[in-house]
Amino acid sequence: MTRRAPAGPTPALTAALTAEYAAIYAYGPIGVRLRDAARTAARAAEAAHRNRRDALVLQLTAAGVEVPADHAGYALPFPVTDRASALRLAVEIEDRTAGFWRAALAETEGADRNRALAALTDCALRATRWRRVAGVNPLTMPFPGRPT
Amino acid sequence: MVLTCPVATGRTTQRDETTGHSRRNLLRAGALLALGGAPAPLAGCDLFDRGDDPPPAPDPLEPLVAGALELAGRHRAALAADPGLAERLTPIAEAHEAHAAELRRVIGRTPPSGSPSPTPGASAPTTTGAALVAELRAAERTGQVAAAKACATAPAERAALLGSIAAARATHVEVLG
Repeated sequence: MTRRAPAGPTPALTAALTAEYAAIYAYGPIGVRLRDAARTAARAAEAAHRNRRDALVLQLTAAGVEVPADHAGYALPFPVTDRASALRLAVEIEDRTAGFWRAALAETEGADRNRALAALTDCALRATRWRRVAGVNPLTMPFPGRPT
Repeated sequence: MVLTCPVATGRTTQRDETTGHSRRNLLRAGALLALGGAPAPLAGCDLFDRGDDPPPAPDPLEPLVAGALELAGRHRAALAADPGLAERLTPIAEAHEAHAAELRRVIGRTPPSGSPSPTPGASAPTTTGAALVAELRAAERTGQVAAAKACATAPAERAALLGSIAAARATHVEVLG
């Protein structure tokens, strides 16, 4: 027999993986437009998304699921031309990625769900920190990751 | 009857040949209508909700509703004690109130006194400024853990809401840090 058919959490987790690919890509242009502590934070955020990506690739591979390929580039929702647009994109990327992890909660259980919750929480925290750096209020959202 | 028709259309042949689900559903709907006995079937829901049945078992989310209202009450009390915290605390208090309302919606029971309101019994804080914020921060951390635990074991249809509540409380901890 072949491996178990990829049912259950697979679509949500592969979607989360593509969101992580896009987030990693976006932090390239974001980091270029930031300086000092903000640039350091952007590098740390990018590293965190790389960790999530790597963990997902391992998880999906172990489950015998075909891992979606990364792309050379991703369309950004708006051009990143300065610090303000870089911070705005950082907030948007974290909010958007949070949405994918939130969607994964309903399709996972046990340790997989706990991982998805940790990822959702991390995205929400980074979005809040970026809002603070950008001087955007309020700093928090009532339902992180929920489609608006 | 009307409600079940769209479900059956276009699939009648297939369903009848295989499982007969659609026919069973129609029969079930017919039975409900007969029980309700009213021309407007939706109004019949009250017959089932308010009978002489024993009170339903408490929903496992009830403690989270109480927790959200308790947190909202703490923030509202802190705002009253130290209005200088308004910019930071108002959105957080509103988030907890929204969480309570959404949890109640998911539970499917209306609160006894209408719209959700913060716990009135929240005692007035004896501290202000940094000490007060530190107390709120600790309460948010406890609340985050409670919501995360509830999320871990919740049925699928509740997991996303509970995850959002846990994540929101984590961001409150961050803002109060």
